[in-house]
Amino acid sequence: MASVVAAAPVEQRGNLRGDRARSRRIVDKIATGALWSAAAFVVLLLAFFIVYLFVRGASVISWHFLTGFPSSSDAGGGIGPEIFNSFYILILTLIFTVPVALCAGMYLQEYAGPGRFRNFVQFSAESLATIPSIVMGLFGLLIFVQAFHWHYTALGGALTLTLLNLPAMMRVTQEALAAVPTTYREASVGLGATRWQSLVRVILPSAIGQLTTGVVLISGRIFGETAALIYTAGASVSFGKSAYDFNPFHTAETLAVHLYQTHREALVPDADAIGSGSALVLLVMVLIFNITARVVGRRLTIRFTGKA
Amino acid sequence: MVESQTSSHVGMTDKMKATDLNIYYGSFHAIRNAQLSIPERRVMALIGPSGCGKSTFLRSLNRMHDLTPGARVEGSVTLDGNDIYGEGVDPVTVRHRIGMVFQRPNPFPKSIYENVIYGPKIHGEKNAKKLAEIAEKSLRQAALWDEVKDRLTRSALDLSGGQQQRLCIARVLAVEPEVILMDEPASALDPIATSKIEDLIGVLKKDYTVCIVTHSMQQAARISDFTTFFLLGELIEVGTTSEIFTHPKDKRTEDYITGRYG
Repeated sequence: MASVVAAAPVEQRGNLRGDRARSRRIVDKIATGALWSAAAFVVLLLAFFIVYLFVRGASVISWHFLTGFPSSSDAGGGIGPEIFNSFYILILTLIFTVPVALCAGMYLQEYAGPGRFRNFVQFSAESLATIPSIVMGLFGLLIFVQAFHWHYTALGGALTLTLLNLPAMMRVTQEALAAVPTTYREASVGLGATRWQSLVRVILPSAIGQLTTGVVLISGRIFGETAALIYTAGASVSFGKSAYDFNPFHTAETLAVHLYQTHREALVPDADAIGSGSALVLLVMVLIFNITARVVGRRLTIRFTGKA
Repeated sequence: MVESQTSSHVGMTDKMKATDLNIYYGSFHAIRNAQLSIPERRVMALIGPSGCGKSTFLRSLNRMHDLTPGARVEGSVTLDGNDIYGEGVDPVTVRHRIGMVFQRPNPFPKSIYENVIYGPKIHGEKNAKKLAEIAEKSLRQAALWDEVKDRLTRSALDLSGGQQQRLCIARVLAVEPEVILMDEPASALDPIATSKIEDLIGVLKKDYTVCIVTHSMQQAARISDFTTFFLLGELIEVGTTSEIFTHPKDKRTEDYITGRYG
């Protein structure tokens, strides 16, 4: 650097009030305001939604409402079996979904190198994920209800939901594994570990928090799913001795389906109240799932990796 | 062409030897026809500007490129005369005998103790007393024992960067390798932590063959017995460290050590 550029004389550079930057500052303020407003709008919308459902639904909630059988024509029906069925189908679905999706995700992320096979599986999974749930429900109707002659069953509903959620769970697995630093893999392999040993002892424990979060979030989705269940698990409950029917081959209307059904074709006079109560219970359950996802995910991460 | 540096040093055996080694990433030719002998129980430094292929070369010595999609290694690398790329060779066994310390300290997100015994455990050691002995011995060898003996169950991530790197060295020592490869092990550390690692390397060469990549010529001069200079994927010159730094044979080596390349 031979030549030195002379600094501008002091009077040309102005003062520190930054008069010349005024328009830039105004644009910056407008942008900040716009972004803040958009974020605030989203929060307000959610708050309004929750408050509205609470106001409408809270008066309906009672022990009898939460545990009793639904009524077909009289007022005062409950949603006991529906709550049970929602959890029952959720657990059945997770039992089918998680092991398969976990193994498929681990294979794709840790074993299959980049190439045609991985692209093909990825493409199939993405296509599967874009199928609308009602279409999946009709597929379930054709296969489980009609071809297998199961009629409307909890199992048929759970298997339909499994098909619906496998791609998402596989994706969650892949992302959780991809988030584990490569340096852990290198360190483990560099010490003479096999791929499987590295996966089980280092990579999975590091990914456990994110995996758990994924499972719980998908649980929330399964819990609220309606369209895929109307024609597979059915829109009525089995009236046995107890509200809790563990037979997977019995019809099993879930809370979300019940909510839909009461608004569409209920004969009971208090359909609106039942709808509001069901909606509130459903919302609270899904909120609990989301909060649990965060708390458990964080706890497990700290437990297995010692970092917050 | 490069002369074999070991022929002139009688009484030394070659622990490892790379012959006609070529490494590719896809179509990129990262290492061109490299020949190098690494003498037993000595420190070999690999120097050269960024991107010259020294790390690529180092990683081929314990088959770490197996993990990199698209990487291809041609030629031979021997350990005690046996080709580690030969047919029927198990890369897991290769890495058991040839350990590696990485540029950034990479302890597992586990306790200090669990980190050290990770290797012995995956190789089948189950006896708790034996594992405790291995842990203490390795941590002592890595000059870390006194600093961590009271908090072995604490997370390794709570240690300082320098301590983490010595823990990584202890973790490698615990599997009792014959060769230790180090990829710029001190580049992420402060000067005090660096000097501890350098002292440690001086001790380790009594029992182990060490091959270290460094971007610091002063470090190479301080710790190594032999130095290899790489430039643009080519192995330019090998010699004893004093020869390389005082009487380099190649003009390009001289330009580099006198600071004429970045």
